[in-house]
Amino acid sequence: MVQLAPSAPRAHRNASPSVRGRGGIQKRKAGGTRVDKDGDLVMDPTIAADKRRAARSQLGGSGPSRGQGNGRATGGPPRGADAGLIKAQQAIIRGLNAKSSQANVLESRMTAAGTRLQIEGLSSSKAAANPDGGMESLLAFLERKASAMDTNSNKAVKITKSLKRGDLIIITAGPEDVERIKWLDNFSFAGATLSIKPYELKPDKVGDKKKEDVSPKAQETKEQLRSVLATRYNADLKLLDLSALAKDAGLIQMGVFDGTTTTSKIFPALMVVCDGLFKTRQEKRDAIVSVTLADNELSDVADVSELAQTFPDIQNLDLSRNRISQLDSLDSWGNRLRNITTLILTGNPIEPQLPSLQAELLKKYPRLEILNGIQFRTPEQVATALEVAKFPIGNAPPDFRDVGQVGENFIRQFVVLYDTNRSALLTNFYDDQSVVSTSINMSAPRGATRNTVIIPPWQPYTKFSRNLVKINNLPTQLSRRHRGSQAINTLWTALPATRHPDISTQADKYLIECNPLPGLVDPTGQSPRGVDGLIITMHGEFEEQNDKQEQHLRSFSRTFVLGPGGPGGPPIRVVSDMMNLRAWAPLASARNMAAEPVTAPAPVAATGNPQQEAMTVQLVERTGMTPNYAVLCLTETGWDLEKAFVAFQLNRVCLHFSSSIPSIINKFIG
Amino acid sequence: MHECISNVNLLPGKTSEIFTQSYYPSLSRPHTIKDIPSYYVPLSPSSPLKPSISLNGNLVTDPASLPALFEKQPPKTHYEVQSFDCHVLNANFNIGAPEGLLEPNNAGKKMSIAVTVSGSVRYGEGADVQGFMDNLVLVPNWDVYGKPAKGRRKWIVMSQKFRVVA
Repeated sequence: MVQLAPSAPRAHRNASPSVRGRGGIQKRKAGGTRVDKDGDLVMDPTIAADKRRAARSQLGGSGPSRGQGNGRATGGPPRGADAGLIKAQQAIIRGLNAKSSQANVLESRMTAAGTRLQIEGLSSSKAAANPDGGMESLLAFLERKASAMDTNSNKAVKITKSLKRGDLIIITAGPEDVERIKWLDNFSFAGATLSIKPYELKPDKVGDKKKEDVSPKAQETKEQLRSVLATRYNADLKLLDLSALAKDAGLIQMGVFDGTTTTSKIFPALMVVCDGLFKTRQEKRDAIVSVTLADNELSDVADVSELAQTFPDIQNLDLSRNRISQLDSLDSWGNRLRNITTLILTGNPIEPQLPSLQAELLKKYPRLEILNGIQFRTPEQVATALEVAKFPIGNAPPDFRDVGQVGENFIRQFVVLYDTNRSALLTNFYDDQSVVSTSINMSAPRGATRNTVIIPPWQPYTKFSRNLVKINNLPTQLSRRHRGSQAINTLWTALPATRHPDISTQADKYLIECNPLPGLVDPTGQSPRGVDGLIITMHGEFEEQNDKQEQHLRSFSRTFVLGPGGPGGPPIRVVSDMMNLRAWAPLASARNMAAEPVTAPAPVAATGNPQQEAMTVQLVERTGMTPNYAVLCLTETGWDLEKAFVAFQLNRVCLHFSSSIPSIINKFIG
Repeated sequence: MHECISNVNLLPGKTSEIFTQSYYPSLSRPHTIKDIPSYYVPLSPSSPLKPSISLNGNLVTDPASLPALFEKQPPKTHYEVQSFDCHVLNANFNIGAPEGLLEPNNAGKKMSIAVTVSGSVRYGEGADVQGFMDNLVLVPNWDVYGKPAKGRRKWIVMSQKFRVVA
């Protein structure tokens, strides 16, 4: 039984008794097209209606016709897209039992196999010997593997229903999840190869015979609806006019209204037809920018909820002269119409309340600029607001609290030496207690790059990855933690050569933060409470060398804990170095966008203490640095003159060493 | 003895796992945001152990102010941990340790642990999925050290650097 959206004031339709849904989304999903997690349109090749569909055409025939006759699988005589529209228009006149064919369009939508899959292979797997026939472990396997398939989703795949029919396992899941599970076709499970296909009703099942009889009629209805849409599309304005549907001569002629105003019946069918006209979400976006639903006597949008799924990217929406009285009445669209910039609600009971509802409206329509013809935000304001929405907890410039430039000098050397001379890097900063490991996050979000940039193979790194979400075996965990220069050298020799962007000229490719960290092991063993060090995080990207002369970019984050070195070792050593690797995506930029400061920043050290002032003078004399810098250096080393002096010395060494690198104070710090 | 060593080796990973499996879901649920300060070293003038928290570059000196900050997240915010790794920084961490507890603990109960977390966050329904990195240093919670924890956390955050990175 089909579960309709709770708010839809409609009776349950009789469809295949085994189709289950979760609400509005599923209802539409059954219709032959679906939108994946990102809203991209995905055609479902298994849907009968699609197979019978004639060649695709653009609404109104303004664009070039595509697909042509050879795109069809079965069905009536071939016709070109534009010709099809004309013929369809003529077909309206033909006497046809519109009422029953309408039902059939809907039925064919709902009995389609959109959200169910059939899986073969369990019975020949080792898991079949389990008390439950292996069902439980199969489902867990599918959920786990499918969850890992989509790098852009951060929700786990969930199988909502499963049933066993002979050797077949039939599972039900949300539309996006089904897409992800489908990728597991031919995966091996407990020694058997799984075959995963969209679930199709067996020919002897209910309704199929009937379907064969009526499908030409359903097809005909589709053509009629298409012709109605064609008359309502304005290619110049990219406007789809769905106003006053109940008064549409074409629709009336089809008999779909049956005495009552049932936009609820015709609208989903219209949207299904629309869906069929476009191959991709981009095509829809290009063809239809505005939709008007004026004069439809809508008291809420439940009857037209499919709009949000079919045209999620529309920018202008006219709801004039309906009966919308409150904001909740728009809930059936959820938050899906996120690109709306212009919304017209004139002539609705809600109109007088609108000024006070602006904030609420912005939650649903974050790009809204013009309400009832009044521009209340500029595009720039919208852009700023969207940027803020990406960082609800604020986004401030890097928090770089160095101690005597130790962190800065380390990073400057690291990015150069890791690319050019890893053994020198080891000698300069690592000792027999340093620990290094690498983890890969293969599921990391990639933003807009996810469809355009191919991820280079992870193979060079996989056997070193210490992603503890995946690596649960203790000996493996331990073997992938590399302690001591020698072990680190082995690791770094095995890892691909890299090229990091120049930190001075391409500072925007990095985001580096740093702060003092107390409580590290004192290498001299003198201080039981430990010694102070630094913790540094560096987010950035590097280019990876490969034999194919291709550009292989990776995003990485690296966390270093630096502490004083032991006797005979480097003066400053890396205590811990953890690298996280991800598919490349542009680094989110840090801006000064703290909505409101949570706490005041620590005041700059101002000393009125004579002892401290004496120390400052001494440090200035010994080092020649400015008094201000001396105070900073002393503050950061806990007013220990010797430590401050050592810090200064180290920096001088570092500065000397890195003299070939432009020594302008980093842009990346600010 | 062997048993003991193996436990010590397991401990950092387990501790990090327990932390990540509890902390990020807490950030994702409006009604658990008030518990967030319990994950941190409290700000106490008398203690030498200070929290150091930086969220997208904003310094937070008192963990008690974190709920107010995280309440700005839109409804249905969801954090997902996709990768984490950890290293022991100091097996005998002593800052803030009571006098008389300065000796090493062979069971690993005094270690400080650096944890890096890579994951995704969706700030509200319909929003884009963004990537985050979180770098933490966990230290023993001296308040429950050597006592039954009674639901209180055995390890708490001394240092945190969180960033939305993609």
